[in-house]
Amino acid sequence: MLCLGVIALYFLLAGFIYLAEFFDWRIGPTLWAEQAGQSYAPPSSENIFGTDIFGQSVLRKTLYGTKISITVALCASLISIVIGVPLGAVAGYFRGFVDEIIVWIYSTLSSVPYILLILAFAVVLRDKTFFGYKLTGITAVYLAIGLTSWVGICRLIRGEVIKHKDREYVLAAISYGCTRRRIIFRHLLPNVFHLVIIDFSLRFVAFIHAEVILSFLGLGEAERPSWGAMINDARIELSRGVWWQMAAATVAIFFLSLALNIFGDALRDSLDPKLRIQ
Amino acid sequence: MTAYLIRRLLYTVPIVFGVLLLTFVLFTLVGGDISIEIAGKGATQETIDEIREEYGLNKPLFLSWDSQFVNHFRNALTFNFGRARDREPVIDKIKRGVGPSLALTMPMFFGIVIISISLSLVIAFVRGSVWDISTVIICVAGMSIPYLSFILFGQYFLAYKWGLFPVFFSPELRMAQYVALPVLIGIAAGLGGNLRFFRTVMLDEMRNDYVRTAFAKGLTARRVLFKHVLKNAMIPIITRVVLAIPFLFLGSLLLERFFGIPGLGYLMVEAINSRDYFVISAMTYISAILFVVFNLITDICYSLVDPRISLE
Amino acid sequence: MSVRPALLVTIICAGLIIAGCDGSGPVEEPNEMVLHHVLSAKIKGLDPGNMRDVYSVIVASQIFEPLYQYHFLKRPYELVPLLAEDMPQISDDLLTYTIKIKKGVYFQDDPCFGSRLAGSLPNNKVRELKARDFVFSLKRIANIKYLSQNWSILDNKIVGLDEFRKYTKTCKSEADVDYSRQVQGLTTPDDYTLIIKLKQPWPQLCMALADIATAPVAKEAVDYYGRDIISHPVGTGPFRLNVWRRGSYIELVRNPAFRGELYPSRGEPGDAEAGYLDDAGKPIPFADRVVWTVIEERQPAWLLFLQGKVDATVIPKDNFDEVMGGAGELTPAMKQRSIHLKTFKDPSTYWLGFNMAEPVFNKNKPLRSAISYAIDREKFIELFFNNRHLVAHGLIPPVMPSYNPEIKEKGYAQYDPEKAQELLKEAEKIHGGKLPTLKIALPGTNTWYRQFGQLLKRNLNAVGLEVETEYMDRPTYLEKVNTKSVQMFTSGSSASTPDAQDFLAMFYSRYHAPGPNKFNYSNPEFDKLYEKAQVMLDGPEKRRLYRKMELVVLEDCPAAFLNHRVAYVLHHDWYKNYKPHAFAYGLSKYRRIDMAKRTAYKN
Repeated sequence: MLCLGVIALYFLLAGFIYLAEFFDWRIGPTLWAEQAGQSYAPPSSENIFGTDIFGQSVLRKTLYGTKISITVALCASLISIVIGVPLGAVAGYFRGFVDEIIVWIYSTLSSVPYILLILAFAVVLRDKTFFGYKLTGITAVYLAIGLTSWVGICRLIRGEVIKHKDREYVLAAISYGCTRRRIIFRHLLPNVFHLVIIDFSLRFVAFIHAEVILSFLGLGEAERPSWGAMINDARIELSRGVWWQMAAATVAIFFLSLALNIFGDALRDSLDPKLRIQ
Repeated sequence: MTAYLIRRLLYTVPIVFGVLLLTFVLFTLVGGDISIEIAGKGATQETIDEIREEYGLNKPLFLSWDSQFVNHFRNALTFNFGRARDREPVIDKIKRGVGPSLALTMPMFFGIVIISISLSLVIAFVRGSVWDISTVIICVAGMSIPYLSFILFGQYFLAYKWGLFPVFFSPELRMAQYVALPVLIGIAAGLGGNLRFFRTVMLDEMRNDYVRTAFAKGLTARRVLFKHVLKNAMIPIITRVVLAIPFLFLGSLLLERFFGIPGLGYLMVEAINSRDYFVISAMTYISAILFVVFNLITDICYSLVDPRISLE
Repeated sequence: MSVRPALLVTIICAGLIIAGCDGSGPVEEPNEMVLHHVLSAKIKGLDPGNMRDVYSVIVASQIFEPLYQYHFLKRPYELVPLLAEDMPQISDDLLTYTIKIKKGVYFQDDPCFGSRLAGSLPNNKVRELKARDFVFSLKRIANIKYLSQNWSILDNKIVGLDEFRKYTKTCKSEADVDYSRQVQGLTTPDDYTLIIKLKQPWPQLCMALADIATAPVAKEAVDYYGRDIISHPVGTGPFRLNVWRRGSYIELVRNPAFRGELYPSRGEPGDAEAGYLDDAGKPIPFADRVVWTVIEERQPAWLLFLQGKVDATVIPKDNFDEVMGGAGELTPAMKQRSIHLKTFKDPSTYWLGFNMAEPVFNKNKPLRSAISYAIDREKFIELFFNNRHLVAHGLIPPVMPSYNPEIKEKGYAQYDPEKAQELLKEAEKIHGGKLPTLKIALPGTNTWYRQFGQLLKRNLNAVGLEVETEYMDRPTYLEKVNTKSVQMFTSGSSASTPDAQDFLAMFYSRYHAPGPNKFNYSNPEFDKLYEKAQVMLDGPEKRRLYRKMELVVLEDCPAAFLNHRVAYVLHHDWYKNYKPHAFAYGLSKYRRIDMAKRTAYKN
């Protein structure tokens, strides 16, 4: 329960920042660009987490970074679910040729190392325009992560659908003339959806960490503060003894990930009766 | 068995084809024109055209016998990777990088596998106790810290401040020296997730009745754990362990980049940064082949370990 | 069962580790004089005809020699003969240069000359340098199949060379080209005389002949090694390549076939006191070996320097405070180690450029000027360069003879946000409405560029301009700039000769992108002055003309000039004859190590 609370806190913060930006309120995190102190001032009573090279408050930057990380993780999760679930269901239900194609696609994708794939996609998608909408750095990042991470959930759903396909309730539905679409969406999916939720909560953590790595490799949000950028900056800052940017971002990520991990575990315990961890 | 093998090998063909198609599409179609970069700063249009001809960039993409895609495919099959952007043959770069990468990832791999498997057995045995709970907490905490932070902390404190290890790769250092710290960090960062996974697997296994029976029969804990539980839990373990092997060759991108270890991971990052298409597609291709091969090995291992699984 | 696999694995690991321990670096004889340097990026190759990155040039300049070199000690910088006997004889119409080559210069001994088998010990003087070797290397650069990046140096300069280039287009590959084809502008009446005929006067010809790209290359080497010539350099210089472990380590050793040279006996006032003339008249090179280690991160290189394993280094930005105390002096800690500091002004300028082909900038001078006034250059230098660099008040850097010492007073680089805001009001009127969000393209995605981008953004936002920064990798950046698809871009340039023409060429309207004029700037007045200066010999008249052109550019503001670099270099006490030089690279031959002091150094 505590974990849910922590997670909710983060989401609320992100939502708050969105609202604040939309309505142009000038409080707290949206004022991250303001000079709050000397360049590289250490943590003090004025600035709990110190300042960065321009004297900007690290605390505010960290709070602002919540928005970026949550957005990335959320969008990437949504994209991968939107792609992975239907594909998995279709593959599992119809088998045959359709199944072969889908399995071929995801086997190909998974034989390339994950980071490589994301990097390649992100580098290639950057600055391209699709249907008149230009891809900025961060959009390319969540597209890239989403487009490469649907494999896991797809496999999972496919496996479950194959197992459920021959269950009685499905056979019953077929016998009274249910259309295939109805069967998949109204009957099968709800029964396997708990897996999606569990996967979602665990993937979320992975996506947040991926944002950090991609920042390091040169992709990701450049204009606004993000946790990944803050940790990345620490590379050169540490050697002059400036540790507070990295510490702040790590702490933020740590609590969120911890909460999500515990929550995901608890979720799995309660939703999947087979795996009870004693 | 041979029929199975042959069938499986045939099945890998579309996958390799898929990978080649993927790299081709990504870098040629969507990636953009690298000939300008190769030509250099003050290049005239004719030098640029000349370069395009040299690298075959002015050929049609798909539709002829001499198209770029066909050439790409043909080169890959004959393992002719050509020369990289700086004119060094790609094969040489790969050969040079394999050593350091393996020196980094193999100790890391073995370290993580051995420690996490044995620890997980022990922990599963004492489940519910203080040790168990605190281990879980530590694991989850470890999984929640970004990998990069591990590296930075480790590098800063252990190498820079306390001087226990060299900060960075330097050609005059012996391999054991410059690999030690990255391996340590890699093990520390990777242990959390693996330990938890194996613990879950072991716990599942230990819930089975035969374990209770074995203990009731009076077998020592060591025998029960290592001889019975471990063997029966092999399938998920093998899956995880064996499938991680192909990625050993690629080195750990981050660790290599941070510590300057001149392995394949470092090569990869550089290649992506400088759009060195030749290196990237060569490495992706190799990793795909390795992946496919090890998938096959995994299946074979399954059948060896679990007599119930037969290869049809 | 559980023990054996674990044991096996441990043994394998141990075996790997032991096997992996290849012997550490080079084995040094105790009495050998070895120079140790660090390169902060990998070198790309050692083929002078096609190298442009400074790191490759640094190494190759010890192996290859061009016709002329810059005098090591004399300032202002002056060209002196290296492989040439003397300065060239120039005809009255300034179109024909007759150059005599030194006799008795030999290429290093190499298997390509057929004299010995690869792997056996080198003999000495096997293949003498002839005038035709220069003709060959210039033709090679012209060979379009060779894809040399240096062709722009020779483009449209020498009679017959462009036609030769056209001919090479018709050849199928690099090896098919027939080099015996006559080029009228490059003739050798005898083995030691080279005559160059120009299409129009080219006062910078000698400087081009001091560029490593024009160093003579033996045809035998090109034929023998083909593409691998980048790792098999065959030159006439004081050193030869011994070991090159790509990506990590390069080692040169003394070239036994070197004809010998003497350390200069004259310099500029102050050299004798600084100790630069202690070795006057002695035969060079002093060092037996020159070693470069490639270390891309600053920190480890710095640590190696402190340990005494590297002779000289720049000061990493983040260690600045531990090295420099106040008032530009070294801290006591540094002085205790007998470390010396040398500062020198790098002939470079960096700027934020405007793409004049963009409608928003084209006729809107107030907008461009406003942006220039909005940037706080001093803060930039303080935050990013530890206050070391100089504010760029103009285009031409301080080291150049044509630098205008009074340029600061013209006030083009002032930080004046109020004036900027006033100008912006005018700019809006010209634009016909509110100014759109402007985009800045930056050629890097790492922390440094991101912080730089943020700084520019802050400065411009403060005067009311909306700005978007785009970070991209170099290839993408170059592509965008070359196709004129950027609005503002950050860039810079460093002079390779004391003639400021390279800087001014960037504003000549014939050279629009993809040529050097990335600003796509056009001004007929400027063009006229440029064409006039192009054929002028160096002198006060020419310099005045350059300064006039500079003022034209500054007034029109196609770029906001930001800073000139100043390098701070540290070196150990035992590293002698280190005098910073803005243009020459082949200086390892002058360096000497005081062996006693080096062995006495305690970490």
